[in-house]
Amino acid sequence: MTLSRLVFRSMRKNVKQYYLYFFALIFSVTLCFSFTTLQYNPSVVEALELSRTASAGFKAASYILYFIITLFVLYANQLFMKRRSKEIGLYQLIGMTKGLVVRLIALENIVLFVVAVCAGMVIGYFSSRLFAMALLQLLEIDMVINLAFSQEALKQSIIIFSILLVVIILQLVWMIRRVSLLSLFSATKQADERVKRFSIFHSVMGLIGLLLIAFGYYQSTMLFDVEKSAMFENLYLHMLVILGSTVLGTFLFFRYSVSLIMNTVRANKKGHLKVTDVLAVTPIMHRMKSNAKSLTLITLLTGLAVGIMTLSYISYYSAETKARQVSPYDYILLNNQGNEFIQQLDQEGVEYNIDTYEIATVNLNIKDLVSDTLQDSPLFEGDSTTPVISLSNFQQRVHEVQLQNEEAFITSYADIIAEVLPIHAGREIVVKAGETEIPIYITEIREDYLLSNIVSYGSPLVVVQDALFEEIQENNTEPERISSQIGINLVHEGDKEKAEEIYSSLADQRTVELNDKYTDTFVQSSYEEVRKQNVAVFGLTIFVTAFLGLAFLLTTGSILYFKQMAEAEEERESYNILRKIGFSKADILKGIYAKQVFNFGVPLVIGLLHSYFAVKSGWWLFGSELVAPLLIIMVLYIVLYTVFAVLSIQYYKRVVNNSL
Amino acid sequence: MAVLVGRKIRKVYGKKSTAQEVLKGIDLEVNKGEFVGIMGPSGSGKTTLLNVLCSIDYPTEGVVEINGQSLSGFKEKALAKFRREQLGFIFQDYNLLDTLTVKENILLPFSISKLPKAVAESRLKELVGLLDIEDILNKYPNEISGGQKQRTSAARALITSPTLVFADEPTGALDSKSANALLTNLEKINQQKTATIMMVTHDAVAASFCSRVLFLKDGAIYTELYRGDKTRQQFFQQILSTQSVLGGDGYDA
Repeated sequence: MTLSRLVFRSMRKNVKQYYLYFFALIFSVTLCFSFTTLQYNPSVVEALELSRTASAGFKAASYILYFIITLFVLYANQLFMKRRSKEIGLYQLIGMTKGLVVRLIALENIVLFVVAVCAGMVIGYFSSRLFAMALLQLLEIDMVINLAFSQEALKQSIIIFSILLVVIILQLVWMIRRVSLLSLFSATKQADERVKRFSIFHSVMGLIGLLLIAFGYYQSTMLFDVEKSAMFENLYLHMLVILGSTVLGTFLFFRYSVSLIMNTVRANKKGHLKVTDVLAVTPIMHRMKSNAKSLTLITLLTGLAVGIMTLSYISYYSAETKARQVSPYDYILLNNQGNEFIQQLDQEGVEYNIDTYEIATVNLNIKDLVSDTLQDSPLFEGDSTTPVISLSNFQQRVHEVQLQNEEAFITSYADIIAEVLPIHAGREIVVKAGETEIPIYITEIREDYLLSNIVSYGSPLVVVQDALFEEIQENNTEPERISSQIGINLVHEGDKEKAEEIYSSLADQRTVELNDKYTDTFVQSSYEEVRKQNVAVFGLTIFVTAFLGLAFLLTTGSILYFKQMAEAEEERESYNILRKIGFSKADILKGIYAKQVFNFGVPLVIGLLHSYFAVKSGWWLFGSELVAPLLIIMVLYIVLYTVFAVLSIQYYKRVVNNSL
Repeated sequence: MAVLVGRKIRKVYGKKSTAQEVLKGIDLEVNKGEFVGIMGPSGSGKTTLLNVLCSIDYPTEGVVEINGQSLSGFKEKALAKFRREQLGFIFQDYNLLDTLTVKENILLPFSISKLPKAVAESRLKELVGLLDIEDILNKYPNEISGGQKQRTSAARALITSPTLVFADEPTGALDSKSANALLTNLEKINQQKTATIMMVTHDAVAASFCSRVLFLKDGAIYTELYRGDKTRQQFFQQILSTQSVLGGDGYDA
């Protein structure tokens, strides 16, 4: 038999074991190649020309993608080699030299790899159009995407995959050279911990693991809490502490806590085990030593991926709310400029609602409203100029609010500023209008946005009684920077296009003229313009992170599945014993379900918890919606993990069926 | 009363062209309280016969009845239940689960059949006393000797008070001292608890503990010996001489 025939024979035989690896490989090549092709697609390049960060982002993402795939391929390869150790041992036993065995296995891998890469590239080429369409959809750009072949992308991918192939072969050589004939035959057993008793050390480490995770979570809830955390100045240090304790805690959890918990449960049964204990609890417990590292890695990757995807999704999801904060009305006219816009709307017969605001300013010190612990902070030196409007103006938008004399409330105080510097209502403060000091009582802190951020400069807005407003206006001798705002909302969504056209044709009138004292200029944008800018930036981010998240998910899911395949093979003997002594297939499967719930569920749940706390601690930096984006991403991850768990159960079913 | 009845059992492996008849129509009956040995050279079909009789394998033709119930009518689930409740197994390679302690291994059958804990505990206590393994109950299989493993395996086979215990070369992996201890224990249990035991062995010493020994040759019963009132030594001699008649290659160990 020639070498090549032997190679093809053994490949045919191994195809069943390989096929998921093969598909995973094809899929990752597809992902990689379509991502690379996408970057060089002329339509995409054109669409992204506006955004200079885009190409840098793409580049960084593709490197991460290559990195993930390399890790995955090396890991999977190692796992499969271990399973084939007997075969390799047999080749050597019948007199093949190690060199020949290396050539044999290498040839097999090269064929497999080249086929997978070619298939992946072909699929990737076609799917790149799909991804490009998804990208432009996210960016809300209407454009026909052409399938474009890029030599640059091909060259780049071929170089990367060739390097990967060389690395794989080096790994093979290293694995085959390193081991002795004897150890080859028992390689499958080596990975397992010899069954050992549980020591005090185990229990202590197990407890420390749980405590570290709890500590990390607790600290993360106060990361940005200025009132409780003294570590605000050392934000990076604080973050590192949280990261370190969570990562170490996760490892200790898998290495010691799991066995500790399970052993406690089991010891309480005093020998009278249930079928799930026999088939899930005890095998898992005894495998934790060899599985701890990979489960930790998978958990952390899951947490990372979900966290990043959620944050970028929050940004994208919040594009509208953020835009509403910058431009609370569809169109805003300041200082009575651009009234031509209203005339043109009338001419075109577009229906709209108008709210008008008179704006004054007062000086106040926000220090008076923060909690006592922050009073001494240098952040609050001196007064700041804050816009004021009258209650009747405010009631154009929100009707149900009432105020007594001397009373006032603060609004437009939300998200980041509200998280970092929480202020409290129910206090009396003194505001200065010109030289006059006016005491007002703050009744509440609200989140409504009414004024363009050109007016507010990002500071909150004070709303007072109409009489008080007039008093402030009288006392202010200096002319206001911006003294009025007209807010226009369209009645019919369908008129938007027409209105946008008019608004953009009046571009020269949108530069806000301030009074002579101010030299800086501002250009007012419509709500739609701001929203589109946000969508363009965050759409790209979410596209790239989703791509990476998909790759992470694919690799972690496959690795878990491969591990389960290997475990199923190793436990075939146990199933044989159990079936002989009278366990039915259904009984055994009950235990296997429990085991899969653990194997896929625990890394998933802990990963999700990690990402939950990570996201929770600072999500408001990215947007204004937490629950929906977080839930959507988590459900997506759970569904896809379930698919892997089902695949793994199918594999177990086959093993159990064939075990007797 | 016959606990186990086999009628015209045939077993053929392979497809038509390459068919190999391993069992060629075997008839046998085992009565309650008997300790039956099955002997024969390698390839004579001992283990196949045992597997067919104990419902792990199916006969190609013929009927197996245990306690008057024919095995052929059972579905997978019912068959498993039957095995769990009516039969006990002892194997050459112990078949203990490495991840369970000795006690957990012995109580393994009860992880699905419900039995009050107190009953299980009292049965366990009696058996481990008989088999002399009280001291190792909390150890793992890799911490105990081969003889102890096999006695653990025997305890697991007997804990359900089965109608019938099947033992496949139970002494095959043991040194002679452990083997003797195990066989003495089996004999004791056979007599004290009137447990019916069927044992496949190629070891004449092991077979001499039985009350009856069947000899298989080429898939058919060649002859059978009853111990009767003979001493173990006499019975052993008789077995040896039968083996030498059966063929010079009687020892396949």
